[in-house]
Amino acid sequence: MLTTPFGDVLDRRVLDDIIGDTALRVPKPVNILSLEPGRVVGLVGDTGTGLTRLGMHMLAEASQQAPVAMVDLNGWINPLAAWEVGIAPERLVMVREVNQDQWADVMGVLLRGVPAVYAEVPPRTSAQVLRRIASSARKLKTSVVLRSPNELPSGVAHLMISSQGVVWTGTEAGYGYLGVRDLLVGANGRGVGGRNQALEVEDDGTDTLRVVGRVGASSS
Amino acid sequence: MGRILCVWWDAWALRRPDMPSTEASFAVAKGKVIAINELAREAGLFRGMQRRAAESLVPNAHVIEHDPVGDARRFEPLVQLIEEVVPRVEIVEPGLIFVPITGAINYYGGEQQVVDLLVNSLEQAFGDGARFGVADQPFAARCAAALATEQPIIVRDDAKFLASRDLSVLPNPDVVDTFRWLGIDTLGDLAALPRAAVASRFGNIGLEAHRLASGDTQTVSPRIIPEDLVVNKTFEAPLLFVQQVEFVARELASELMAGLRAAGVAPRVIVIQVESAAGSLRERTWRSTDPLSQVAIGERVGWQMRTWLESKKGVGSGIVSLKLAPLELSGEGRQLGFLEDTAAVQQAEQAFTRLQSVVGPDNVVTARRQGGRTPAEQVRWQPWGEEDAELERVAIAPWPGRTPGPAPSLVPPTPVPLAVEWDRGMPSRVRLRSQWVEVLNWAGPWRRVGRWWKEEEAVDEYQIVTSAGAILCHVREGGSTFMAALYD
Repeated sequence: MLTTPFGDVLDRRVLDDIIGDTALRVPKPVNILSLEPGRVVGLVGDTGTGLTRLGMHMLAEASQQAPVAMVDLNGWINPLAAWEVGIAPERLVMVREVNQDQWADVMGVLLRGVPAVYAEVPPRTSAQVLRRIASSARKLKTSVVLRSPNELPSGVAHLMISSQGVVWTGTEAGYGYLGVRDLLVGANGRGVGGRNQALEVEDDGTDTLRVVGRVGASSS
Repeated sequence: MGRILCVWWDAWALRRPDMPSTEASFAVAKGKVIAINELAREAGLFRGMQRRAAESLVPNAHVIEHDPVGDARRFEPLVQLIEEVVPRVEIVEPGLIFVPITGAINYYGGEQQVVDLLVNSLEQAFGDGARFGVADQPFAARCAAALATEQPIIVRDDAKFLASRDLSVLPNPDVVDTFRWLGIDTLGDLAALPRAAVASRFGNIGLEAHRLASGDTQTVSPRIIPEDLVVNKTFEAPLLFVQQVEFVARELASELMAGLRAAGVAPRVIVIQVESAAGSLRERTWRSTDPLSQVAIGERVGWQMRTWLESKKGVGSGIVSLKLAPLELSGEGRQLGFLEDTAAVQQAEQAFTRLQSVVGPDNVVTARRQGGRTPAEQVRWQPWGEEDAELERVAIAPWPGRTPGPAPSLVPPTPVPLAVEWDRGMPSRVRLRSQWVEVLNWAGPWRRVGRWWKEEEAVDEYQIVTSAGAILCHVREGGSTFMAALYD
């Protein structure tokens, strides 16, 4: 039996009819920023949608204890952003300009030596290679963030985050400057209990992110 | 008690055949003066001063960049000559050698005979310029060599000799300033303080300074090397090229330090031994006043092997085996941070060394913040494992006109051409991934005047926001537009 704070008795069936099933299901807090040992997180989406910075946030905690590595295919990743989100400058090592043939070897070495790795995935990497890397990561207890423009094959990522849009505030017809970014993402996989979740990540340019569920947008 | 001979050439970095003898000259490393000649000294320069200050004081001076490999190569013939008289020498740096002469004294019939023999041999072969000091301890021998002119200084009582020396001879300048502030001006004053009190107040640095001031330092003599800490590597195909040698040096230094770290120690002396393809063995000892780091060991091994490869009496047939043995292990191993995980740090360093063989040393990099206006300018890259390179621009300056807002996550090495459509001077559409995307908002333009003396163009900088993300856009004088960074 449900009662209001004023003592009125509510009929559950009536309540369900009024506000619906999904609205009552308040999403559990989701910690998508904390990397777990042996888990692979996939960041999938076009360049420009804020996923690189999100991946950097994920590495920040691990960098407090040991060196972390970023595999940068084209030499574009900017360490200023990594330091801004809290990665310790002296513990960030970049492996740059890695070609398709070297990528699996590079990942193999990093998985054995570094506790947390962020890696851009070359476009034509086979599902077999990605699954092998995920399996090694599990075995060696290495946390891995894979940044890919394309969907990752099933069974690779423990948590998959895909970008759904980005909204910037701070600029106004020539005035101001880029300030706060709201990143809209979808999360799925075992990392979020096997349910698709829609999340909003607010990034104000500091080392703190605010992650909230988008009410009414989640689907079971 | 052993006897140590110190042979020192002042300003070795400037002893090059191409140096002018009639001009003030100085050598610089990482923005600081590390060696000066007599004319520069007379003009007011001193070691350790900033390069800019030195250049403004003597604008016409001949300036050279420090070249440690070249210095080591030019130093090798002198070392070989000394080795013909006394078989074992310890190099601190090119230009500074310690020679344990206790055994040679018995062989040649006296201390003076050994010193005279070395002085004459070096003068005949390489001219004057070397300074000689003999003492019981390396530090006292070094101080004696610094005071010597044409005649060697032979010290009979280290403590008495050191007592009148000024504190500035101590290797750590920070602790010297503190001692002076406390009214201690000479090594004798410092040695007179109770060691336990100095150690309690100043920790390891103070203790080390007290030991040096008291003439109580390590002896240069053969020690038993713990075999399990020695690392060696053999090569099926002889190493003939400098690049191969430098890479192997770094790799073996990493392996050596992994074992030492596990034991919580760091070496002050490192013995490098190689075997050539022709079967000859070469051995050289390098010493440091501070415990050697992995980088320092890698550098010294690299210099030595390079010198041997390029020298006539070296290992021209190639190197088939390399062995590194640590000596005089110090408990002052590398101090890790409070949260740092020793095993993880060690594993990571080994992984980065291996990666350098996969993608090349220049593609495994670290970065430091430096001054600059654009995001690209504010980063100083350097290969992992190398000593910190000199910053190109001062980081603490205000840098007005710096790109505002959060740092972009992606910055191309050179700006990438970007198609932008303009509507009455305002950006309206941008071409991204072969599609035109509408501009939702923008900030700027901010005018940046280029360094005309470096032929840099002036640009107008915009932050452009689209539905696909935000871009840092540069518009050059002719109207051409470029993507300078991407806020991913």
